[in-house]
Amino acid sequence: MENNFIERAKSSCALGGAIATISSLPRCIPIVHASGGCAQTLSATYNLGSGYKGPGYCSGTMTPTTSVAENNIVFGGEERLEEQIEATLRVMDGDLYFVVTGCQVEIIGDNAANVANQFKGQKAPVLYASTPGFIGDGFKGYEAVISSLASDFIEPVAKKDKATVNLLGFTPGQDVFYKGNIANLVYLLNKLGLKANTFFGDGETVEKIKGYGQAAYNLVFSPLHGQQAAAAFEESHSIPSLTVDLPIGDTGTEAFLRQIAEPLRVPKARLEAVIAEERAYYYSYFQRFLEIYGDLDYQRYAVVYSDINYAFPLIRFLSEDLGWIPHLVAVNEEPDDPEDSAQYAQKFKTLTASVEPKLVFEANTGQLLRRIKESWPYNHNEKYYNQLSPLFIIGSSLEGTVAQKTGAMLLPVSYPVTNRAVLSRGYTGYRGGLTLAEDIFSVLVSNR
Amino acid sequence: MSEKSLTEGLIYNYSSATEPPTRDVRIEPTNAYLGSCRSLKRAMGEGCAKFNSRYFSQGVGCQLILALGIVRTFQNVVTIIHGPLGCASNNIGLAGFNKTARALKGKPANDVVWIHTNLDEADVINGGVDKLRAAILYAEKEYRPDVIVIGNSCVPGIIGDDVDSLVDDLSPQVSAKLVPVHCEGFRSRFVASGYDAAYHGLLKKLVDPPVRIDSALSGTVDESERLERIRRENARTVNLLNVGSTSYGDEVELSRILTSMGLKVNVLPLYGHIDEIARMGEAALNVSICATHDDYLIGHLKERFGTPYVIDTLPIGIKNTNQWLRAIGRAMNLVEETERIVEMETAQLLEALEPFKKALAGKSLWVGGGETRIFTTAEFFQSLGMKVLGLKPHNFDRFAVPMLDDIDDPETSVAVAAGQPAEEIVYLKRLKPDLYVGHGGANGWVVRLGIPTIPLYGQSQNYMGYSGAYELARKAARALLNTNLSKKVAANVTLPFKQQWYESDPLLNIKETPTGESLRSSVQ
Repeated sequence: MENNFIERAKSSCALGGAIATISSLPRCIPIVHASGGCAQTLSATYNLGSGYKGPGYCSGTMTPTTSVAENNIVFGGEERLEEQIEATLRVMDGDLYFVVTGCQVEIIGDNAANVANQFKGQKAPVLYASTPGFIGDGFKGYEAVISSLASDFIEPVAKKDKATVNLLGFTPGQDVFYKGNIANLVYLLNKLGLKANTFFGDGETVEKIKGYGQAAYNLVFSPLHGQQAAAAFEESHSIPSLTVDLPIGDTGTEAFLRQIAEPLRVPKARLEAVIAEERAYYYSYFQRFLEIYGDLDYQRYAVVYSDINYAFPLIRFLSEDLGWIPHLVAVNEEPDDPEDSAQYAQKFKTLTASVEPKLVFEANTGQLLRRIKESWPYNHNEKYYNQLSPLFIIGSSLEGTVAQKTGAMLLPVSYPVTNRAVLSRGYTGYRGGLTLAEDIFSVLVSNR
Repeated sequence: MSEKSLTEGLIYNYSSATEPPTRDVRIEPTNAYLGSCRSLKRAMGEGCAKFNSRYFSQGVGCQLILALGIVRTFQNVVTIIHGPLGCASNNIGLAGFNKTARALKGKPANDVVWIHTNLDEADVINGGVDKLRAAILYAEKEYRPDVIVIGNSCVPGIIGDDVDSLVDDLSPQVSAKLVPVHCEGFRSRFVASGYDAAYHGLLKKLVDPPVRIDSALSGTVDESERLERIRRENARTVNLLNVGSTSYGDEVELSRILTSMGLKVNVLPLYGHIDEIARMGEAALNVSICATHDDYLIGHLKERFGTPYVIDTLPIGIKNTNQWLRAIGRAMNLVEETERIVEMETAQLLEALEPFKKALAGKSLWVGGGETRIFTTAEFFQSLGMKVLGLKPHNFDRFAVPMLDDIDDPETSVAVAAGQPAEEIVYLKRLKPDLYVGHGGANGWVVRLGIPTIPLYGQSQNYMGYSGAYELARKAARALLNTNLSKKVAANVTLPFKQQWYESDPLLNIKETPTGESLRSSVQ
């Protein structure tokens, strides 16, 4: 697919995604070889736009950067990079240092890999990934960084641990709820008797990451993002991958658990016990809002406008768990390969409501209104008009005006989220499903 | 300090150029200097600080962001960022805020709309002009904007996309005015160059020459009466030039005072309508509240249309608000009126500040951020009995030199650094101020260090003028009522520095500093 311009892209560039990824790794220090503004600006994209996640251990204004200027563009910036790495190792306290590059130095042909390699054998490792903005969006930066970890840092382990999995596809910042999503999954997987390597989750260390080669499987929670990282794990560590949907709520989580149980050799009895127990817990809380749901008719037509990771999982939750009408799913990015898009469309066949949602790929934020209007017969001033109402949109914070114009209520979940603050919340698993239900119903009752 | 000496020797009319010279060349500021007020003044006199740079550097900001910070606010504008997806992707974090600010300022609260040309690897080789053309036509068709601003980023700057020719081609085809802004990040070490880049575009494409009103012209009686009325109005109209950090409260307060002097006030160009901006040249006086922000704009308007200007200080605190008003009073021949207002307002404010003085006297502070704002803010807190331990200007240039004298103790630390929390944190750890007043992006680190903070500016809060001074004092006193947050956080969260950095002399991080003084000698 040919790249076009994008109106209000819901991402940053590869370098932005790389900085967000590195600064979410435990005690990891990014060293940005680029113009002076890239590090701070690209960090701000996620530090502000992702539920105010903040700079983490070291990003934002704190990010070490070569700040190359016009003279470096003319004469090359490799010496400056060497100086900056040396100084960073002296000043910043990290367990891992990660050199990433911006457009300017890639265009002029700086060999940053060479410079980073000169620092091999230092007390702390210095890694490198090529991440110029022109290779793509923030997800690409995640891929580059995790792939570098897999091929250049994580040690080969011959004997795999059958009960350990690597979690891939959670791009920090780009997934506003990555922390909570990971924590919820770790809880579930532990319950199944599995251990999860998470990169960004609680209690991780660089030392632990070094040992990720022992995993028996990569679980990739996205049809697109994390696939390149998974390929790097397959190539360097012979770890096979399973692609799964983000499990949200009862339907999604059960499907996820059943999908992974067999390849991961989870005993059947244990699987059934976990599902039964978690489901009982889920419905013991879920039933608390049935009074207000019933009394006030909180069934809604649902529109989801999100990245590809969230789109199907969200509409499945709304359709299968909440009993809403799945009307329109707009994915704010498009796979390069039309085959992937077609495959993604197949997922929606599994929904069991009497209507199947319309699926569109629409990167231009301003076009959602048109997409919604096109999805429903126009009002020709008939006496009786069956309108698209009551309507609820799960999107990003940029959908406020569309919600207003369509009379919908809105919960921002997909990046960017700027009118909510997110700390530890996550939407994965049974428990995450409850959290999402809570947030949705909080919006519905917010005017009471 | 008179306006003459602040802009002396500077020239402004670069209309025929696609872009003005960067600040590196035009103003020769420094963004790497550690020393004291006294030593910095000497260094500025000798002109050596401008050559300084760092071994260890942290993010310094990008001029594209500051340029877009101006143009993004215009009414009915679409901005196009010509570059890969990351350039100005921080719009995402600010779009909601900008929309709310439009509402706060009583303007139509439309969405902030921007487009990335999304340059990829193929475009780096083949050029990205076609994508830019498509983006301009999309903006025109979808939004019918009054203005389409094109912010040019590093990649097209390096590969040589001819944006201006495209704009010339397309201008007759679209009804929006097309404004190219050349603000490639790598071109300048000083982000404030972005202000000049944005204003260069605005001045070239949006500001009309003022209508000459000559009463000797023939015409109907009605027509000449109308023109006479316009001329009278223009003669007492001042442009109050706002900046990204001026709140609606600031604009109301400063307008209130100027109106009480008998002036008619246009607040612009930020959040302005294209018709207001077009007529900027008609005012009798351009009034800056921040020299770092405006000198290119007002200098150019003076050279092109002859409009006089006031570029003096930033109206924060009593002394600087009064100084700013007096400069306007002199320029508009309203000296007596100004004195009456200054006297009355000052007396009322001083009385109101008494309780806060008691709370703040004897406490110490550090202020970091834009040069003119931090010195005026520090001066105000000093006037309330606080001790200024140090200042961190993002850059330092001729416009702030006179302000060095406003700090009582000439040995007060000054650490000139754009961003660069590493050096500042060492100062703060040693000096332990009771309160830190900081720029966006800086306060969080300082809280982690255990020092309570208040923001240096706030787009929904009043900082300027007399009411702003009251609010600022009130805010600082409130912050000191409960400092539990910084204490608790510092006890449980660490900053990413090595112990040896805390113990080192940050001055050793600066290259080429023949006149700097070591931190050890200025901080005992």
